[in-house]
Amino acid sequence: MTITMVNDEQVVGKVNLKRIAPSSGESFFTSSSLSPTANTVYDRNIDAGLDQNATSPDSNIGTNTSANETRYIPPWTQPYIIGVAGLSGSGKTSVASKIIEELNTPWTVLISLDNFYNPLTPEERETAFSNEFDFDSPSAVDLDLCYECVKSLKEGNKTKIPVYSFSKHDRTDKEITIYGANVIIIEGIYALYHQKLVDLMNLKIYVDTDLDICLARRLSRDILYRGRDLEGALKQWSTFVKPNADLFVKSTMQQADLVIPRGADNYIAIDMMIKHIQKQLLRKSREHLKYLEKLNNSLNKVELKNIINLIVLKETNQISAINTILTNKATSIDDFIFFFNRISSILISKALELLTYKPSDIPIITPTNVPVDNALEVVEEAIAVNIIRSGDCFMNSLKRTHPEIKIGKLLIQSDRKTGEPQLHSIMLPKNVGDKSLKKKILLMDAQIISGAAVIMSIQVLLDHGVTMEDIIIVCYSATEQGTRRILAAFSKVKIVLARIGSMDGRNKECDNDWWFRTRYIDTMYYGT
Amino acid sequence: MSAESPKNVILLPQTNQLLSLYTIIRNKETQRSDFVFYSDRIIRLLVEEGLNQLPVEPKTVSTPTGEVFEGVKFLGKICGVSIIRAGESMEQGLRDCCRSVRLGKILIQRDEETALPKLYYEKLPEDIASRYVFLLDPMLATGGSAIMATEVLLSRGVKPERIFFLNLISNPEGISNYHKKFPDIKIVTGAVDRGLNESKHIVTGLGDFGDRYYCI
Repeated sequence: MTITMVNDEQVVGKVNLKRIAPSSGESFFTSSSLSPTANTVYDRNIDAGLDQNATSPDSNIGTNTSANETRYIPPWTQPYIIGVAGLSGSGKTSVASKIIEELNTPWTVLISLDNFYNPLTPEERETAFSNEFDFDSPSAVDLDLCYECVKSLKEGNKTKIPVYSFSKHDRTDKEITIYGANVIIIEGIYALYHQKLVDLMNLKIYVDTDLDICLARRLSRDILYRGRDLEGALKQWSTFVKPNADLFVKSTMQQADLVIPRGADNYIAIDMMIKHIQKQLLRKSREHLKYLEKLNNSLNKVELKNIINLIVLKETNQISAINTILTNKATSIDDFIFFFNRISSILISKALELLTYKPSDIPIITPTNVPVDNALEVVEEAIAVNIIRSGDCFMNSLKRTHPEIKIGKLLIQSDRKTGEPQLHSIMLPKNVGDKSLKKKILLMDAQIISGAAVIMSIQVLLDHGVTMEDIIIVCYSATEQGTRRILAAFSKVKIVLARIGSMDGRNKECDNDWWFRTRYIDTMYYGT
Repeated sequence: MSAESPKNVILLPQTNQLLSLYTIIRNKETQRSDFVFYSDRIIRLLVEEGLNQLPVEPKTVSTPTGEVFEGVKFLGKICGVSIIRAGESMEQGLRDCCRSVRLGKILIQRDEETALPKLYYEKLPEDIASRYVFLLDPMLATGGSAIMATEVLLSRGVKPERIFFLNLISNPEGISNYHKKFPDIKIVTGAVDRGLNESKHIVTGLGDFGDRYYCI
């Protein structure tokens, strides 16, 4: 397991923001308890220009909170926040890395307070370059900004973290976008200094290492890795580091829930701490699952056929015959792909009917110079968002129906142990949250079983500024339960289906049928 | 466009999407690449609607886990017969749904002297009498060529109720002419336009489909 830098500004100096890369040879698809894959969701949509205020979960769901409707609370709305403080050289970073390594959960974000150094004035920069600036004073760090960032993350928002450059002694124009964090570790000498920031934390750790050990570590680090001379390093220590430590840092130990003497070498303390965090996370994960369960109980009893936002293809002879072929184990992969492509063309066409059309502005004239009466044109852009990989089964038909369509992707996987759906990766077109663009998002998934992946995807879209009314879910088959859950959490999305099960089993097809319960479409379609 | 469909006329649902597709192919400003692409989309919808008319029979299959599924399967063999040249534009749409479907061709042109349609060429599957036939011609104007093509099919032993005439644009006069001769043949169309002008072109129409699809 390796620690890698997220940004390519390696020259910048100190550690900025880290993630644990998946261990080599393991893909996300095979993540299991044996294959540690802890990764943060790094949003590639950094320049989306989103209006963060308008896109907080509350403002979006606010439209949907009538008395009997349930609100979906995604797991990243309640991240588990850990603060790690301690003197310079005490081993904070090692302890934080140890936590990440041992926890082995996706979306663990490590935020170093180094990112929040205040930009320096030109004069201050001069003193910084001659090692005479006090970086160890609490005023050198913008803790208010750090508080705002962590608060925003705790609310489940997409949040931008500044990047500080030690070579320029200034904040860079780069930013790191974090979204969907499950565990956030804040590490820095002043991690427990700012009261409001401390109040956001679920676990406060102080790494207490003897001052002489701190000095020894700091000296070897400064001299061996940062190219400083002994004299300069000692001067820094005696002028800034030690006085500040005595004045400001040591007292924050009082804030800590847990004091770890000797840092990362203290296996017993770290082991106990990890066990505690794991217990808390398990509880959080259970609550999420329980919540998804609960959506079930709040299902409304309106008959499926009377739900206007649910569109199921009429069961014509062709559709029935295609469904039969797709269910038959004797069907060859060749036939399966062909018939799935056929039915997905019909589904996509059905979904495109839900776009907004308007009479053409200019008169439309035929080559024989006759004006066209019912001239209509589409006034919205359709954007596809596929849930990897089952949603990708629609690609062939999608490209043939709408060749220039923009396509975003989401990777959501269920945890092998708990079954909790987890968001791994987001790739969305830049304009997906642009309120001025009239659009519909076709959210594609071949099957809805529990509905959890789709529910999570909708929340991601809402968090990125998409309006609920603009989401159309395109799906081949769905359980009644999953469908009702989605509509219970997000009543204004539309769902286009070819096939739906039935909870009471009175109908020919019911939720318990194998073809509704099992994710088989992408397995057959891709042959793997 | 007529609001109600007469008997044995299957009109595609006039959704906004469909109307916007028609707007594109009717517009004289539309370039050929767009004309071809959007015509093909309508053709695909027509073919799917035509296929929906075919009967199925019950079939029980077993799923990969050994459960039993009471389904249905396609019944009978089909073939497509296109009227050269414009009708050939619809062959690929049929092939997209039925991969190895047999395709027959009929060439009918208007005789310069008599102004009546004349049969120049036909090439049809040997066993066409035992198949469902999709007759393909994008424009139903007076119905002259389609009537002649249908007579060829009937002379080869195809039963009228097994013929489906697929076109993109029709008109009441053409439908009535055709159904006077063959009341039992279903016409599957995407648009029923106002009527014909003095030179027997469909109004509103879209100009010469074959020219726009293949040449202009």
